[in-house]
Amino acid sequence: MSYLTVRTRKADEVLVVYIDGYLNSLMGEEVERVVREALDAGCRKILLSFEGTRLINSIGISIIIDIVEKIMDRNGTLAFCALSRINRELFQMTGVARYVQAFDREEDALGYFDQSA
Amino acid sequence: MRLIWNQGAGFSFRAEEFFGREEELAALLRVCLEGKAGIGASVMIYGPPNVGKTSLLLKLKYDLQTLPEGAAPPRPFPFYFSFSKILSHPLALSQHFLQEYLWQLLAFLGDSPPAGFDTDEMCERLGTYGLIDYREFLLAHRRFTERGDGLSALVNAFSFPFVSGGEIFYPVFLFDDFQYTCKLQNIPDGAILSILRPYIKSGHFPMILSGSSPGHVTSSLKREGLFGSFQMMEVGGLSPAASEKLWASLFERRKIRMPGPIQARAAARLGHIPIYQRMFAEEVSFRNAQVTDEIGFENLFALSITEGQLNRYWREFFENAFPDRGERARAIKFLKRVVYDQFHLDTFEGALSLLGTSPEEGRRILSGLEFKGLLKSDFEQLRFISDPVLADFLYWAFERGVLGKSGSQVAASLVQAKLSRAAAEPAEGAREKWIAVTKELMRMWDSREVPMLLFRFGSFRERFGGKGLLEVVIGLEKEPQKMRLPKISSVSTGYRTRRSGLRFDFDLVAYGFLDADFSEENLVIWAVDVTTEKVLTAATVEHFENRCRLLSLEKGLKAGQLRKWILFEGSADPDALDRVALYDIFLTHRSQMRLFLNLFGMEELDIAREDRKAPAAPAGAEPLEFELVLPMKADTEVVAARVAEEVAAYASLDKDTVDRIKMALIEACINAFEHSGAESGKVRLRYILSPDRIELFVQDEGKGFRGGRGGEESKRNRGWGLKLIRELVDDVEIETGDRGTVVRMVKYLGPEPGKEGEGSPGPE
Repeated sequence: MSYLTVRTRKADEVLVVYIDGYLNSLMGEEVERVVREALDAGCRKILLSFEGTRLINSIGISIIIDIVEKIMDRNGTLAFCALSRINRELFQMTGVARYVQAFDREEDALGYFDQSA
Repeated sequence: MRLIWNQGAGFSFRAEEFFGREEELAALLRVCLEGKAGIGASVMIYGPPNVGKTSLLLKLKYDLQTLPEGAAPPRPFPFYFSFSKILSHPLALSQHFLQEYLWQLLAFLGDSPPAGFDTDEMCERLGTYGLIDYREFLLAHRRFTERGDGLSALVNAFSFPFVSGGEIFYPVFLFDDFQYTCKLQNIPDGAILSILRPYIKSGHFPMILSGSSPGHVTSSLKREGLFGSFQMMEVGGLSPAASEKLWASLFERRKIRMPGPIQARAAARLGHIPIYQRMFAEEVSFRNAQVTDEIGFENLFALSITEGQLNRYWREFFENAFPDRGERARAIKFLKRVVYDQFHLDTFEGALSLLGTSPEEGRRILSGLEFKGLLKSDFEQLRFISDPVLADFLYWAFERGVLGKSGSQVAASLVQAKLSRAAAEPAEGAREKWIAVTKELMRMWDSREVPMLLFRFGSFRERFGGKGLLEVVIGLEKEPQKMRLPKISSVSTGYRTRRSGLRFDFDLVAYGFLDADFSEENLVIWAVDVTTEKVLTAATVEHFENRCRLLSLEKGLKAGQLRKWILFEGSADPDALDRVALYDIFLTHRSQMRLFLNLFGMEELDIAREDRKAPAAPAGAEPLEFELVLPMKADTEVVAARVAEEVAAYASLDKDTVDRIKMALIEACINAFEHSGAESGKVRLRYILSPDRIELFVQDEGKGFRGGRGGEESKRNRGWGLKLIRELVDDVEIETGDRGTVVRMVKYLGPEPGKEGEGSPGPE
């Protein structure tokens, strides 16, 4: 749907994707599309910022898992930042946390990408 | 039938059946005994009719007569005299008074009471006790009687006791039903008090007056400058403990058994009034009935009110008070509205207009009611007695006489009303709170536009019946028909049409001006009543409309200038809804009211008040229950989460718990949407908040869970939903069947071990 847009920002080589509002299937698909296009364009460093995420449902989580798989397939690096406590727990419950580094602040995450470069 | 002779009323009183009132008795006894020392005071006992004032006097008499021997003479001689038993002619009264006095004195001195009331014979007998010769007095009295000089005869008779006494005894006066003294033919109101005045002032003659219409008596006392000499003593129902003792005594003699809790409840329903308890016990024994539970009690009570003892009692009372049939009917109709329907009324003018008759007849009825002690006027302010038995009797009389219903019909509705009313009692404070919230709301609606539907319960329910509240809010945004609310200048509980004019009472009255134009044409008056009855009845609507009409008439309001608004909760009679439409009254349900608050951004007003109460509620308090109906549309589960947040705010839950609950709910809703295949397209949610847990129910009307049901969405979530729910809450139960699935989730609210000290996340 047209009203649903995902904010993104390019910080050097890193694509920062801001997930605002309710991460459900619609929002998830939009995020997935943005990430896929970035990967197709050669970007390998993706940071998902959950600062503005108010709710996540299980479908949203599934899509995030899809995204994790895709990025791993293409040897990319993925990180999360600004997870609320409940969202961090959700990623732990679903096992996503084992594959993705999570940081409190966006700057910390960007620093991690710099090191891994 | 009237008893002509009091004879001390001794045989109508059984001391062993008198319970309670220890404090009153002790005070009265002290007053009586101090009379010996010349520092005796006078007491005015007042209270509603039948509450037990006479019994109290008779018990005092009994106690005075049975004082332990040994005290130095003079002994108190309690003289009981009831003015209700007399004829209204002053000569008859004076004669009767003399006879009574002599008779009781003889009995007091231990003489066997003479068969007749020959005053000469009685005087002679008294002479044998060494008492002074009363014959002079009697001769004078005879002379006045022969001349037909009523006033002099009265003065003579009423002065008589004060010259008696001396070494052996001193008289203590127990004057019952004193208000009747103002009903004597050709004798000015208060004459008896004028005669008694010097004796009262002397302090040597303790005097206890009793009456059920203190207004009459106190005004006489004031006129005579005696008011300061009297202590006022109000008599109400018995204490619960005394009521219980009375039951025990009544039941023992009649071999009646009634469970303890029912006894307590029954005593309360009868207002802890001894005479009702007695009659009820008689009813039980007469009908050979068994009262084993609350329903049994209510049934028998209703029977007694509609055709038994209690009915007969009040019927005779009214027949006595209003011998004229028409007047009696009007009085009952009027009282029913005030006492049973609790039609708020406190002015004389208001009462007259409610009576709806000529001013002369209206005044006659009101004064009759006051005389019988059913209403009390103080500085033009009226107060009506509240007597649960009388209220129900009035209901019966009204339904039977005015609406022509059969006795059993009335009894059935009485039982029903009582059972539901009993359950609703604790909600008393709720009404006050609701009024306060409405008041705030009205103050805020400064020329705002609101959907008309919020005022119209009928059409509101038609359109939104069964739907969830939040869904409705969304729907209302596009509501075309709106109402412009006036800028409210003042909100109070009454409206006076002009200085010292009629006052109209409602729960709220607001006045304001449309379009901020402060002209008479743009004046709008809102009259609001808030009712917390379980069912809104046609009668309630009718009474509201009546007051509105009067106000409109008095104020000369044009059509549309008076906005009539009833707020209610529970349900409404179809008949009531018809009338509301007919009279063009706005009717708003509590749930609509919450939408109002939402619209004005005032939800916190509703919640904040609850919140303050919440910590005071003991553990195990009534759980709070909330319901929500969601349409099966994309993202409506967010509404469920939002409501969970609001519900959790009631219990001041920590953010983590709230977040878990929200997530769990979202998952449960999504499951319901995806798996149920329900035709109805609705998911019902219930949130039950108890002190120790929050329970969430998510119910769909589908065909039950089918594990392998396909669909793009379910493939995507890989079955995470249920797993997550199990992680997020403490207990999950799923019941699934042909008629749908219910997911029950429980989150316990006690502190979880190991979770403390982790640090709670700050507010967002």
